[in-house]
Amino acid sequence: MDILNLVLYAMAVLTSVACMALLFRGYAQTGVRLLLWSALCFVGLSINNVLLFFDVIVFPTEVDLRPFRLIAALGGMLFLLYGFIWESE
Amino acid sequence: MEDADFSNEFCRFIQQAIPSVEAAEILLFLQKSPDRAWSLKDIIEGLRASITISEADGAKWVELLQSRGLVTLGQDRRALYRPASPDLEESARGLARAYAQRPVTLIRMIYALRDTKIQSFADAFRIRKN
Amino acid sequence: MIAFLSGALTLAFILGAVFFLRFWRRTRDRLFLAFSLAFLLLALNQVLAFALDVYREPHSFIYWLRVIGFMLILLAIMDKNLSARRGPVKPGQ
Repeated sequence: MDILNLVLYAMAVLTSVACMALLFRGYAQTGVRLLLWSALCFVGLSINNVLLFFDVIVFPTEVDLRPFRLIAALGGMLFLLYGFIWESE
Repeated sequence: MEDADFSNEFCRFIQQAIPSVEAAEILLFLQKSPDRAWSLKDIIEGLRASITISEADGAKWVELLQSRGLVTLGQDRRALYRPASPDLEESARGLARAYAQRPVTLIRMIYALRDTKIQSFADAFRIRKN
Repeated sequence: MIAFLSGALTLAFILGAVFFLRFWRRTRDRLFLAFSLAFLLLALNQVLAFALDVYREPHSFIYWLRVIGFMLILLAIMDKNLSARRGPVKPGQ
């Protein structure tokens, strides 16, 4: 069960990191600012995923990283929404 | 009308000033009688045969056309076709030509240009670009 | 504080999903539909995790919502790369 959890967490982290990398690369190649804000969103979501991993697998009882996880994700989403509202057309 | 008429300048014009088919229709409507200032209601009524535009949308497009220097708004909020420069005049005539001769291509282009940034988001996920 | 952040994040995910849906309607690119659904699942995950007071997420079915969400994104990326699809008509083409 733990191996499965590990794999699923790893998948989530890799997916959000991949999105971040592809969007940063897209921004570097095209200069479209929407991609920058989107990349920053996935920075936040990746941090959220990594902290979740630490929160649950590494330090399940000692530490509650929930506020930091939520702040990272929320920060990321604010970048994304800013980009969608102001830079998408 | 050759594809060359869809030049880079024309595409830039479309991307800047003509974000929708409604906006194009309104501009071309005003262009047909350049000496007459039209109220929003008259514009919408005049276009009713070809396209339905709500008052809110109509006002939005007219304001946009004004901010891009294609149309002036009088005291009474009546719109007058007045391109602010010869380049804009030329582009507006190009729009009329395209609408008359290649309407389908024009419409697809308007929406493709409107969506370029969004499409770049999707294209960013192509790992190998072709 | 957690309640506030949790609510704000849920709303942000939902808004994101709505935008992605709008982009899908405009471009018909499947990727946006997948992202929209993924973000909706993340929103649902957030709501349930808070409402049911679960913060050790993997020990709950709620966790699966999150997993499926990210899997959808991964599948969307794979789909984009494995099906060589042309983009919309570009000027000059």
